[in-house]
Amino acid sequence: MTESKSWGLLAEFPNPARLLKAAQATHAAGYRRFETFSPFPIHGMDEAMELPGSKVPWITLAAGLMGMATGLALQWWSGSVAYPLVIGGKPLFAWEFALPITFELSILFASFGTVLGMFALNKLPRPNHPLDYVPRFKKVTDDAFFLAIPASDEQFDLEASKAFLESIGGEHITVVEEQNG
Amino acid sequence: MSAHHAPQINPMLPPEKLKKGLALAALLGLGGLAATGAGYWMGEHEQFYGSWLLAFSFYTTIALGALFYVILHHLTRASWSTGLRRVAENLAANLPLMALAFLPIAFGLHTLYHWSHADAVAVDPFLKIKSPYLNETAFYIRAGVFFVVWTLMAFFYRRQSVAQDKTGAESHNFKMRKLAPISMILFALTLTFAAFDWLMSLDPHWFSTIFGLYVFSGSVVSFFAVLSLVALWFTSGKSELGLTIGNLHDSGKLMFGFIVFWTYIAFSQYFLIWYANIPEETIWYQVRLSNGWQNVSMLLMVGHFILPFFVLMSRHAKRNRLVLGLGAAWMLFMHVVDLYFVIMPTLHHHLHMHWLDLSSLVGLGGVFALFFLLRFRKVAAVPHQDPQFQASLEYDNA
Amino acid sequence: MAHNYDAETLFPPPLVDNDLSFGEVTEKICGIVEAPPNHKWLLALIPALTGLTILGGAIGWLIWEGTGIWGLNNPMGWGWAIVNFVFWVGIGHAGTLISAILFLFRQRWRTAINRFAEAMTIFAVICALIFPGIHVGRVWAAYWMLPLPNQMSMWPNFRSPLLWDVFAVSTYFTVSLMFWYVGLVPDMATLRDRAKSKIGFWIYGVLSLGWRGANRHWQNYERAYLLLAALATPLVLSVHTIVSFDFAVSLIPGWHTTIFPPYFVAGAIFSGFAMVLTLAIPARKIFGLEDFITVRHIENMTKIILVTGMMVGYAYAMEFFIAWYSGSEYESFAFVNRALGPFGWAYFIMVSCNVITPQIFWFKKMRTNMTVVFILSIFVNIGMWFERFVITMSLHRDFIPSSWDYYSPTIFDILTFIGSFGLFFTLFILFMKFLPAVAMAEVKGVLPQADPHWSGYHEEGHDD
Repeated sequence: MTESKSWGLLAEFPNPARLLKAAQATHAAGYRRFETFSPFPIHGMDEAMELPGSKVPWITLAAGLMGMATGLALQWWSGSVAYPLVIGGKPLFAWEFALPITFELSILFASFGTVLGMFALNKLPRPNHPLDYVPRFKKVTDDAFFLAIPASDEQFDLEASKAFLESIGGEHITVVEEQNG
Repeated sequence: MSAHHAPQINPMLPPEKLKKGLALAALLGLGGLAATGAGYWMGEHEQFYGSWLLAFSFYTTIALGALFYVILHHLTRASWSTGLRRVAENLAANLPLMALAFLPIAFGLHTLYHWSHADAVAVDPFLKIKSPYLNETAFYIRAGVFFVVWTLMAFFYRRQSVAQDKTGAESHNFKMRKLAPISMILFALTLTFAAFDWLMSLDPHWFSTIFGLYVFSGSVVSFFAVLSLVALWFTSGKSELGLTIGNLHDSGKLMFGFIVFWTYIAFSQYFLIWYANIPEETIWYQVRLSNGWQNVSMLLMVGHFILPFFVLMSRHAKRNRLVLGLGAAWMLFMHVVDLYFVIMPTLHHHLHMHWLDLSSLVGLGGVFALFFLLRFRKVAAVPHQDPQFQASLEYDNA
Repeated sequence: MAHNYDAETLFPPPLVDNDLSFGEVTEKICGIVEAPPNHKWLLALIPALTGLTILGGAIGWLIWEGTGIWGLNNPMGWGWAIVNFVFWVGIGHAGTLISAILFLFRQRWRTAINRFAEAMTIFAVICALIFPGIHVGRVWAAYWMLPLPNQMSMWPNFRSPLLWDVFAVSTYFTVSLMFWYVGLVPDMATLRDRAKSKIGFWIYGVLSLGWRGANRHWQNYERAYLLLAALATPLVLSVHTIVSFDFAVSLIPGWHTTIFPPYFVAGAIFSGFAMVLTLAIPARKIFGLEDFITVRHIENMTKIILVTGMMVGYAYAMEFFIAWYSGSEYESFAFVNRALGPFGWAYFIMVSCNVITPQIFWFKKMRTNMTVVFILSIFVNIGMWFERFVITMSLHRDFIPSSWDYYSPTIFDILTFIGSFGLFFTLFILFMKFLPAVAMAEVKGVLPQADPHWSGYHEEGHDD
């Protein structure tokens, strides 16, 4: 198989304002799986692309509750079941003294949930991507702004989409090749 | 920032709205005060003084929270808090009224404060040690100083702000900013010692270094609850004040933040005393965890923290008028419970509620609201000529 | 054109000086990492490595010989180890505070200093963790502090504040590290994309996890960052609160007082900001970061120092007042002894450095004079070390007068403490060279041209 399949199209825009307009236009044209790339998050882009809200908070909440349960269970079980020993005249278990560690473990679990959940939702780490083979794309972490329409978009048509990207002011429009592997 | 088409703003409260508010406040005030007076003449003296102290502390802490907001606004040079600042200024301007409301407490000194009895001091070595601080003359002098300092500050900030409504000059902002640091220092000290004098010395043997912060945290929560309710009322129906949902969200957010702060302070105090278990400190909580008072403590823990924490956590809740309004009203109720928890166990060994508690709260509340609302008759409801006003309306933290 | 900081304005001046473009931000910050090490940097590394060596020696001798080499005695069972621990943990608070709390309060000036301050947090907490680790005597059994199932069926004592410390400080370290790392990911992607050498490409490539700046990623990223900030804010307050519990749950007069939790937190913020200034003022000079860490940033931090210094002063005053008001003779004695007893000299240093000298920051001239700010920030560091020293030394007059004693450190106490600075500065100097010292993606995000509605874009054509 020598014929390489195209991954999609990549167009560059000179600044955040133009990228935002391009995203609005692309969404209006019916594309749903397109993506924008920028060196920093652009205010209003989520609305322009009409993305649903992020799911990260739910993971945070679940992990935090798990941490809370772990903290309480650990202190209650080890202090009153596994190794009951009266120290300093304190009860074997009381919510008062259990609170500091319960709190710390809730935060710890919730933070892990947040960070790992965020990377998982973003499907990262991902060391290799077809876009990495476009030389200009290296500037995306510096000062360049891109919009990509993948071939997997229902609306995608190599020629028509290319013409569309031109019409909304995309520069350096490139056909991105799918990399074998 | 691009200048959007600024909507036409009419900074005055609509007269019909104001009239309705004034009528309600006057009605509640008169009714409540009449009932409270009747209670006093019926011979419920002890209960009257206790209930009056509850109502007095409740409204004074709200006004002090408002003063704090105004000073903090200028101290941090914030612009987002401009929109609702007039409400706070008018609330703080009620502090001289609270000086008037303090008079019954001065009359009831011997009923409320054990340390004011010379014969009690004579047989109690601890009260003897404290007598250079806890004595009638010093108590009155300090109360006088507190009210003078608060009145001066409240009037200064309100006068500058109202004057700016006419001139729109930036110099007013600079003047207020200049005095903000010293005001904050005076505020911190006066509030702390007022809390010691009026609330902590109800049990003259007990002491806690954090007590000033405890009263402060509750005071700010109750202020933001009032601010949220007033802002909701201002923006209800057809409002031309320019206030947005973003301003309400800010108020709710700060209320939420200070609910957490209150919990932190309340827990720190309780926890350190619980753990060390030293008799002279533990007695305060011992009283509050027995004879029915444990129910009040439990209500405080659930109602002043757990419930509002989970209800108000999400930003959708704080941007929902109904949820925010219910939350704010609930927090005001919880502030009453908080003060009730501090004050009443010294009066009643067993948990005991009295209709005078309610009538005092309603009566003084009516008068408090009346004077607060009267200030909106001739003066704008928002500081519309403050150069930062427009920015504070556009500052939506969506 | 530099901004005129003397003019009084209602609206704050720009966050970044000299109208930089996106590319210039990348160039300036990455330039530091990509350039070969300069002499100033190498020169700074020498004393730091010397300190690190001293630390290694002091700890090695401690493990070999035991805690008897320190100046501990009866009644002073706690000496410099806890003082140094609390000192370093306190410094470790400003980083997360700047990052998390200022982020939640939309104080966007934080973008210039947050990376830097977070790094400082992590290194300070590493220094702090050394002391409880080595003071246990039998260092090889330090893992007993953790709740691990074992053949003796024993569990740690969860009623002990020292165990809460273990959880609090290690949680704080872990969460701070994650917070820092999440912030670094987009910037390390920048370094990856600019890497000239294969090693650099691989290292930054692995660490940046394949970040490509996709908007769907940014959406989750921003949400996660906000949540982490919201989690880190109560966390940072809880850590010093729990450290204060080490003292405050006891019965020792001068330790057991209810204001300790917020008082310790205020002190931690105070000392943390002082340390940020101590590091930032020379660093902005050495690495040419004056456009990012502007005079305005420095001035803002001096104001925070002034405010938190007053809070600490308030706590000192409350302690003294209540010690008298309580009528307890033990309480009053402890405080009179603190100011006028054998350690009165330390109390005097504490009050002078923490309450009196920061008052100079009332004057704008002083707040914007870098030399004055630098010197005063060191004073605050000294004062805050002495605060913990004064508190710990409450033990020298305990309930039995026959056991009263004085405490003097030995040379090993002093060397370990000096050595901990060596570790701190070594880590910090390495960080400044190998990682982006300013959060590039965030700074770009606060530049005026990052806003799609910036007025400069309106001239380009039709705009609604």
